[in-house]
Amino acid sequence: MSKSLLIKLGLLVLAFILIPALLMGFDKGYYYQIATIAAIFMLLAASLHLVTGVAGLLHLGHAALYGVGAYVAAILGANHGIGFTLGLPLAGLSAAAIAFLVALPTMRLMSIYFAVATLGIGQMLYLVFLNWVGLTNGPNGVMLFSGINLFGLEIDSDLGIYYVVAGVVAVSILVLNRLSHSYYGNALRSLREDDQCASAMGINVTVMKIQAFVISAFFAGIAGALWAYTTGYISPNDFHFSQSILILTMVVVGGLGSLPGVLIGALLLILLPEALRSVGDIRNIIVGVLMFSAILFLPKGLFGEVSALNFARRVLGQGWAAQKGEKGIGWK
Amino acid sequence: MTPILELDHLTRAFGGLKAVDDVTTQVNQGELFGLIGPNGAGKTTLFNLISGFTPPSSGEVRFKGEVITGLSAHKIAHKGMSRTFQNLRVFPNMTVFDNISVGALGMIGVGPMSSLFGGKARAKEISERSYEMLERVGLADHADDLAANLSYGKRKYLEIARALAMKPELLILDEPAAGMNDSETTELAQFITGLNKEGLTIMLVEHDMGLVMGICERLVVLASGRKIADDVPAVVRQDPGVLEAYLGGDEG
Ligand SMILES: Nc1ncnc2c1ncn2[C@@H]1O[C@H](COP(=O)(O)OP(=O)(O)OP(=O)(O)O)[C@@H](O)[C@H]1O
Ligand SMILES: [Mg+2]
Repeated sequence: MSKSLLIKLGLLVLAFILIPALLMGFDKGYYYQIATIAAIFMLLAASLHLVTGVAGLLHLGHAALYGVGAYVAAILGANHGIGFTLGLPLAGLSAAAIAFLVALPTMRLMSIYFAVATLGIGQMLYLVFLNWVGLTNGPNGVMLFSGINLFGLEIDSDLGIYYVVAGVVAVSILVLNRLSHSYYGNALRSLREDDQCASAMGINVTVMKIQAFVISAFFAGIAGALWAYTTGYISPNDFHFSQSILILTMVVVGGLGSLPGVLIGALLLILLPEALRSVGDIRNIIVGVLMFSAILFLPKGLFGEVSALNFARRVLGQGWAAQKGEKGIGWK
Repeated sequence: MTPILELDHLTRAFGGLKAVDDVTTQVNQGELFGLIGPNGAGKTTLFNLISGFTPPSSGEVRFKGEVITGLSAHKIAHKGMSRTFQNLRVFPNMTVFDNISVGALGMIGVGPMSSLFGGKARAKEISERSYEMLERVGLADHADDLAANLSYGKRKYLEIARALAMKPELLILDEPAAGMNDSETTELAQFITGLNKEGLTIMLVEHDMGLVMGICERLVVLASGRKIADDVPAVVRQDPGVLEAYLGGDEG
């Protein structure tokens, strides 16, 4: 109890005192940018962790929900004069609302088909970002000049922006931590382990899966809004399928089911490519090889509860087992 | 004697095969009820029909006088029925304590809001109940071990403890002694009788007659989905049809 409190305090000191001090020491816009991006991706990974790592749903469209948040924040800011304080929660709520609509018909699918459905929905949203020019400005993206205005206070210094992002991310991660490491988290874990068995314990499996999916989307939307407010420009490619895979990789490398692991995974996958910038384009290959060996030699990721290979095998295997079922292939 | 569970002409067909064929019987309040039958007799299927895992092709299940046919498994669990599985389904990548907590929290209920804001009373209830069950089956020393790392016998007890954490009125055990040696089986028999003495109604499936004959008050025998006997053990033991099903017609 007190140990985990100590760790939390340490992390807060790190995020709000040490890193800002370092950033000020270097005082280069580029470092501030990296720090902000790393924080945003930590939130993305932490939110996917709830669905995939804890509840065990293979979700391949997370970046699209992140995109929904970003577009809502950017469009509200650019076209309707709605700023950060209202735009941020609205972005989260919009992503959650879309996730809810998506979840209703798909949550009763067997896991592998659920994964395919999220892939399809991610792709569909991406095409909306790309082609609904009237709303999203299509491939040209949306510019957002308003920046961050906190209750009348204009935040325009690099350090100020870092503090806002770090603050929002820290609060969100504390919430996600509470959800995933509590009895509620245990209920979600039981779905990952054996959802049919969980239902025999009186757990409403479908409702709980929808909850996890929607909560996770809310925080992805928040991350999207942070991205829009800090970069000032968003375009469809920021929310491409490859980003979903990047976030999923953070979760797998960090370890399915472990929030601290997932945060470290996110840091690694953002910082490593930057640190290797000097070696040129070969860095992408190096990162790829590292990921591949992580799966081979650390099957549970850095701190995971479940082996990623076993997880994949089970997700795929259930698709086959379903053939014996009642409602035809893919349904339970 | 008030019935807690009534099965009324229950049938379940898989394609042409009637795994459970027109079974009518009842389990009385406080009874230790046994269900036996050779391989493939339909015992597990019958349990699945009762607990809402499989819908029946026809017939009705009543629990505490209320029709529960067609209800989903989690709703039936909330009515006060809990079960274990023949093929042992603990949550392998969770600790022993967390496994049991799922049984408790399923009944007590947790939600995202209660886990964020307050919910302390519920959390306390869940942890107290989980520890109580942990002690009960003698797994307190293993609370923080992963379920996957327990021995087979301990995992069997873990599964029972998880079911007990639901505080059920009817406990359904599907071959709890499978894979156990004689002394372990005797110990389990004592444990089950102990639960029953405290007033818990238990429905027990066993493949071979040993355990059930010793401890059950009443037995139903299934063969090829049909009920061929329904009586006290002493009578069932003498039943020529039962003997034939076990000795001659082990058709699987
Ligand atoms: N989902 C299913 N689809 C098709 N057939 C099934 C299914 N479940 C069970 N059966 C068949 O129904 C029959 C009864 O099976 P069941 O598992 O209920 O028997 P059992 O009495 O529990 O046997 P055992 O002692 O081996 O556990 C078997 O012939 C089995 O193959
Ligand atoms: Mg069986």
